[in-house]
Amino acid sequence: MSANTLHELFAANLPQRSGKTFLIDAGRQATYGEVDALARAIGAHLAARGVGAGDRVLVQVRKGIAEVSALLGVTRAGAVLVDISTAWTAEQVRFVAEDCGASILIVEPAMARVLAAEGIDPARLLPVSAARGLEGLPCLSDLPALPFEALPRRADDLAAIIYTSGSTGKPKGVMLSHANVLAGARSVAEYLELAESDRLLSVLPYSFDYGFNQLTTMMLVGGSVVHQGVAMASEIVRAILRHEVTGLAAVPPLWIQIVRLLASAPTPLPSLRFITNSGGKIPLSTLERMPGIFAKARIFLMYGLTEAFRSTYLAPDRFAAKMGSIGQAIPGAEVFVIRHGEGVARPGEQGELVHRGPLVSQGYWNRPEATAEKIRPCPELRDRIGDEPVVYSGDIVRIDEDGDLWFVSRNDALIKTSGYRVSPDEVEDLVYRSGLAADVVAFGVQDDMLGQSVQVAVTLLGEASREALLAHCRAAMPAYMVPQRIHVWPEPMPRTASGKLSRPDVIRGCSDTSSLHSAR
Amino acid sequence: MALTEDSLIRSIEEFAALHGEVDAETPLFSSGTLDSVAMLNLIMFVERETGTEIRAEDVTLENFDTAARILDFARKLAA
Repeated sequence: MSANTLHELFAANLPQRSGKTFLIDAGRQATYGEVDALARAIGAHLAARGVGAGDRVLVQVRKGIAEVSALLGVTRAGAVLVDISTAWTAEQVRFVAEDCGASILIVEPAMARVLAAEGIDPARLLPVSAARGLEGLPCLSDLPALPFEALPRRADDLAAIIYTSGSTGKPKGVMLSHANVLAGARSVAEYLELAESDRLLSVLPYSFDYGFNQLTTMMLVGGSVVHQGVAMASEIVRAILRHEVTGLAAVPPLWIQIVRLLASAPTPLPSLRFITNSGGKIPLSTLERMPGIFAKARIFLMYGLTEAFRSTYLAPDRFAAKMGSIGQAIPGAEVFVIRHGEGVARPGEQGELVHRGPLVSQGYWNRPEATAEKIRPCPELRDRIGDEPVVYSGDIVRIDEDGDLWFVSRNDALIKTSGYRVSPDEVEDLVYRSGLAADVVAFGVQDDMLGQSVQVAVTLLGEASREALLAHCRAAMPAYMVPQRIHVWPEPMPRTASGKLSRPDVIRGCSDTSSLHSAR
Repeated sequence: MALTEDSLIRSIEEFAALHGEVDAETPLFSSGTLDSVAMLNLIMFVERETGTEIRAEDVTLENFDTAARILDFARKLAA
């Protein structure tokens, strides 16, 4: 019988895999049976503290067996999981705790102390281990083994809330039902061809839907997860070799590091059969080196947004022919390219990507207006799907003759200059190709003559000069695209928690007329 | 060399949004405090301050896990 909830997904592995290694930390391993016992103790404790069906429990624990046990304990108690990154500050933790109305906060001892000092009632705290000054509180590592029946939940009940730290404004919580979580696990297990013999390396936080999906897919197929808490290429390569890892998921900043390392110190990775990317575009210069570096591993480039988990992937056998494409809809998802007011885009045309299907989330926690804007019926699809709500990605893509999609730009970011519509991404790609810039952000600035002028902010590589960069642009771009101003940033540019350049902050920084940013 | 313990610690605190919590011996990567984004920013910062390029194989816990280790490593680079 097929699982309907996150708990059932895990529990389906018992009893037959109770002796099989499920999780591997740096100094410790745990079988399915051992994790089951830990989760049961945590579930029992939460229930004894009054946590019931639908209550939210916040988890901020370093990657490891304890974190996973906590997640499974929370779901076993019938509560909604709110896992947030250990990089988040006490202020952010408090924001999330109040925003979602968390009954209990499962946190590291240091954070527990800070939260208690800042006025959070200790009765809401459950530290991972003994916290100085809060010795009276029970902690995760000391809970008694008590019998506890998992609280039954339905597929359409909430399983988790994923907080996205947007680059502007406060984080919003994306609500996922159990059905959402399971659909994500099943779809990915299918196209990655995951099996019981797989052993994934988990570097990405479980607070990220991409990272969490690594765990749920392994629970689905009965595989294992190796926890790698150190975001360093050398450590990752070491872990892949040591634990014979079969699959690695990462984001562009990490791929850049890993490829740099393996290019300068080639290392065969015989166990690695696939690698995946999501959360942004890998720069072309890194992408081009990957097939040579990962000789055996299949490369999966993927695209998605938290509000619908994942929308597309590029089949690995088309990586070379379609390098840079985001591919086509993942199993179970339907993706359409919509030309507003007209209809569905035809090959060669571009439009906004919308996503339909079981991965469409339940909306934002307590933000009905923001939800209604993001997840709504699509008039251009009424003939096909009626008023079924779809997720509007806000991304403009182009569809080619084969049905593969290519990212063009964020909907709101197109620059309108001299009557042309210029994609900042296209400007940035061309600037990256010069090999003179480490980071590039292109944007439009109000201009009386041009409508908007194209400008770029860059951090220069090595000995590169602004003049050389400008010369490259003049040679590589049509005249209307050549930046009117080049803002050279001497400091690394600000990034969001998921590694993407924080465009609004960079753009804002360029408009400050401080001596840091010199223009052409 | 432009890199000092102070400027390094201040940069780390900025990359990790941790103010007043980092000292010369605070484990940065083995503790999970800094992620891959912060790692990239840190490498670029050190490269700029020392005027050198850091080889990928040298980005290890031994050379980068604490501010003290980074300073030692940077001094060797500048020498």
